[in-house]
Amino acid sequence: MQLRYVFSELGQGLRRNLSMHVAVVLTLFVSLTLVGLGVLLNQQADKAAAQWGSQLEITVWLCKTEDDNPLCLGEVTTAQKAAIVDVIESNPEVAGYRYESRDVAFEKVKELLGPEKFDGPNPAATADALPESYWIELKDPQEYRGITSAVIGLDGVSDLRDMREVLEPIYGTIDAMKWGALGTAAFLVFAALLLVGNTIRLAAFARRKEIGIMRLVGASGLYIALPFLMEALVTAMIGVGLAAGALAGFVFYGIRNNVGEKLQFIPWIDAPEYLNAVGFIAVLGPVLTLLPTLLLTRKYLKV
Amino acid sequence: MIRFEKVTKTYPGQDHSALADVSVELDKGEFAFLVGSSGSGKSTFLRLVLREARPTGGRVYVAGKEINRLASWKVPRLRRQIGTVFQDFRLLPNKTVHENVAFALQVIGKSKTHIRQTVPETLDLVGLANKADRMPDELSGGEQQRVAIARAFVNRPMILIADEPTGNLDPQTSIDIMKLMERINSTGTTVLMATHDAGIVDAMGKRVIELVDGQLVRDQAEGGYGLPAI
Repeated sequence: MQLRYVFSELGQGLRRNLSMHVAVVLTLFVSLTLVGLGVLLNQQADKAAAQWGSQLEITVWLCKTEDDNPLCLGEVTTAQKAAIVDVIESNPEVAGYRYESRDVAFEKVKELLGPEKFDGPNPAATADALPESYWIELKDPQEYRGITSAVIGLDGVSDLRDMREVLEPIYGTIDAMKWGALGTAAFLVFAALLLVGNTIRLAAFARRKEIGIMRLVGASGLYIALPFLMEALVTAMIGVGLAAGALAGFVFYGIRNNVGEKLQFIPWIDAPEYLNAVGFIAVLGPVLTLLPTLLLTRKYLKV
Repeated sequence: MIRFEKVTKTYPGQDHSALADVSVELDKGEFAFLVGSSGSGKSTFLRLVLREARPTGGRVYVAGKEINRLASWKVPRLRRQIGTVFQDFRLLPNKTVHENVAFALQVIGKSKTHIRQTVPETLDLVGLANKADRMPDELSGGEQQRVAIARAFVNRPMILIADEPTGNLDPQTSIDIMKLMERINSTGTTVLMATHDAGIVDAMGKRVIELVDGQLVRDQAEGGYGLPAI
């Protein structure tokens, strides 16, 4: 196969339908950026949930030595813990619970604020300063009053945090943005598919003489379709590249250097999540252009 | 080389068959005219040979292959053994004479060295060696048809199919084209030519296959365009 021919056809094809190709690239760029945003926001929600627990969780802080709560008479005892677990296990609103030790809590704080603040002779906090806790998962986020009132008065309980009050607005915003991005992307992806289809129709029409002769003299189906597939691949890769750039701007300027510095209590997405999102759109982009191309070239270039 | 066995072709949505129960055979190196009025089934006959259509009944063998059993991906290989020439030349207007002929070899993956050698040889054969760098619109109709024949023949096909190749040409030019077709036939290539041109058929005195309304009505070894003289 003569690659020179394929590449010259590719160059000609891209130039001949320049405006259509630009339209495809721009539509792909915007839709892939939005899909990438959706992927990033999804990871952001997962990351926050891993740190803070899901919306269904209630955290019960247990008394520690020198607790802020005056009702705590020193560190929680084993007997008190057993009593608390009894109450939790017997409550019908509870789906499950887990225990979090001081050390685990300390590790989380270190990860969130950066481990360097806790090293050396003058650490910001030690594991002893943090309380043990139970993380209670609810069956129904609306049914929580029974368990909170049952637990709050128990001996050894310092405080109770209903995570939903803190997290609901954050999760709500992330979720709304995610679905907004993905919903808009769905329309644009559909538009991109139609544009790709039209571009191929135009290109096949513009090259109908060549294609007719190629079929007649016995060029293989792949050979005839190759310039179309290459065009599809090139437009997809340009769209993916632009979208990756826009997402990089979002992650590294919008988040790392902006909200990430202002709102440090939330773990923000960064390079690994960015690479995930780019990987996803790098597969999706070519699929979006190659799939209709394969289908339509079979239709228009049938031997 | 080409064999039709009781071939019937009915296009979808039509009750009338374009070809009905046609059996005919062309040997290697033969020259035959396919005659008949418009709508008699000539084009369908040629389309079946090229496997642009498949028979609804009977069998078509081309170059030893039964074409209704041939997988689609093998069709290009079959077509490389068949050269095709049309009434309207079908040259690429943005390519030179040389490029038009070379195109047929490029797209089936022939090497540059092969192309550099074969294309000038073929242009020489059709008498256009000195016009290799012209564009098609700078050529006369007869010359354009020569380019089309060169393109059809450049891969040295076993079969040359010509659909009204002289339909757009004046009588003198037509005779020149027919001489060229005979020359190609003399290299061993089977030639099947559909035509309306009674003068040419009568002058050549070759085999004549006549179709009327999709039926084979005549297959005469050294025939003329009209009915055979009694």
